[in-house]
Amino acid sequence: MPAPPPDISHDEARMALDTVEHRRQQVLAEIDVPGWYWWFLALGWVAVGVGAQFGGIWAVILSPVLFGALHAALAHRALSGRYRTGNLSVRRDVAGHQVMFAVIAFVIGLWAVTLGVALVADADGARHPSLFASVVVALLVLAGGPRLMAALRRHRARAGAV
Amino acid sequence: MTAPRFDELIHPSTRLSIVALLASADWIEFGYVRDQLGLSDSALSKQFSTLEEAGYLTLERRVSDRRRRVQVRLTPEGRAAFDGHVAALRAVVAMAESETTTL
Repeated sequence: MPAPPPDISHDEARMALDTVEHRRQQVLAEIDVPGWYWWFLALGWVAVGVGAQFGGIWAVILSPVLFGALHAALAHRALSGRYRTGNLSVRRDVAGHQVMFAVIAFVIGLWAVTLGVALVADADGARHPSLFASVVVALLVLAGGPRLMAALRRHRARAGAV
Repeated sequence: MTAPRFDELIHPSTRLSIVALLASADWIEFGYVRDQLGLSDSALSKQFSTLEEAGYLTLERRVSDRRRRVQVRLTPEGRAAFDGHVAALRAVVAMAESETTTL
């Protein structure tokens, strides 16, 4: 193992490592889904709610299938968490796989919430329970999605610090 | 585990910042690096030239939406040099801390 150069002090080395960590954190701050993704999810959810509320049986069946297919087509790149903007591509090993898993779990949770809210609204005599539930969940998407990403970034920042 | 290898070319603060940013990314836009480091275009270009001549990074010029964009990425040699340099810095810190402990 080569000896470190004698003119590098502990303080200088520590300061250099702090610089490295600071720059790593700047890249970690870029881990996110693109800004359009949450709007796409929220508007798609409302569209499915409209289909379920006002469409016939085919709309009830086809609207979630179409939305799911469209989501699958668009989500792969978006959910990697590596392309928030066009300014950089975060390395795969730095971004990790948590973004995709977290968003998929979030979406599954949203389906459960949608069903629950719609059933409660229907039992309460609401005129448009499916539409009501989809709007509630769309608002949850817009408010909760960015918070979920912020929590993931904090988790990634704590992991593997220099 | 990477072998420690102090790198004089990377060590200056500005170049260390550039390489550390690039080490966490596949590629980064020139403008993003410039904004994060608060450097002028010419100052940053000079640093990039030095690192490019050493074979540590590549610059890829492309036209997107009628705008000229420059993507910067570390080469495998640049990444190895950075990893070795960070390992050397850690070794210095560890050595100093172990000396403090034994005193």
